[in-house]
Amino acid sequence: MKIAIETLAMATVVVPEGRLDFGAAPDFQRQIETALAGANGPPKAVIIDCAGLDYVSSAGLRVFLVTARAAQRASVSFALCSLKPAVREVFDLSGFSRVLAVLADRRAALAQVSQAAS
Amino acid sequence: MKERHTRVPSDALHLPELMLFMQEFWAAEKLPPAQAAPFELALEEIFLNIVMHGTPANAEPHVEVSLVLLDDALQITITDDGPLFNPLSLPPPDVAATLGERPVGGQGVHLVRQLMDAVRYESDGAHNRLSMTKRIDR
Repeated sequence: MKIAIETLAMATVVVPEGRLDFGAAPDFQRQIETALAGANGPPKAVIIDCAGLDYVSSAGLRVFLVTARAAQRASVSFALCSLKPAVREVFDLSGFSRVLAVLADRRAALAQVSQAAS
Repeated sequence: MKERHTRVPSDALHLPELMLFMQEFWAAEKLPPAQAAPFELALEEIFLNIVMHGTPANAEPHVEVSLVLLDDALQITITDDGPLFNPLSLPPPDVAATLGERPVGGQGVHLVRQLMDAVRYESDGAHNRLSMTKRIDR
């Protein structure tokens, strides 16, 4: 899995690409932890843009859950966006779409986290 | 009816090999790419569940996967000779729990039950066998 990290004024955006399975989960978790810690302290918000994410298993879901809790403790707003249908289905069936902020696209996610931060 | 089998040691290191096995079958049978994810997830979750249920001392359990393509569905059967355990006996996680209450594990089997049309466990006393079927629209 490829992971890109974009630093915006309002948020750090993590962009995973490919498959988030058991093998990819540990590295993904490390990268998100780094994004959450920030180079100069935690960012206001972390958004995970899932537009390029083709597959997620329970090992991947676990990373999202652990990250959401870490963000909550650090008072960092956290949102996901742009889930493909197969990924969205896994989030819906596990009930994760109800406990995490899952937005349609990046614009909606940025609006959500800026609202949560103000 | 198209059928394919493979057999690997019960070790998480072999997960990529199993995924490749599924993906190659999918491509060879020209199945719709958009419908592959639930089957891959079922294979990953059940295989890892077996791996996590451990290896008895002095034993080298193996996992056998068979794919059977029916007219309008795919059946995955996963057989192992590890400790006897029925994954369908696990209670479902509380999907209405809040962020703080959610346990971090226990999602895998629940997802498989939801994603597949039919899931059946059987044991002959020495093996676990889980058969999962889901419709494919083509």
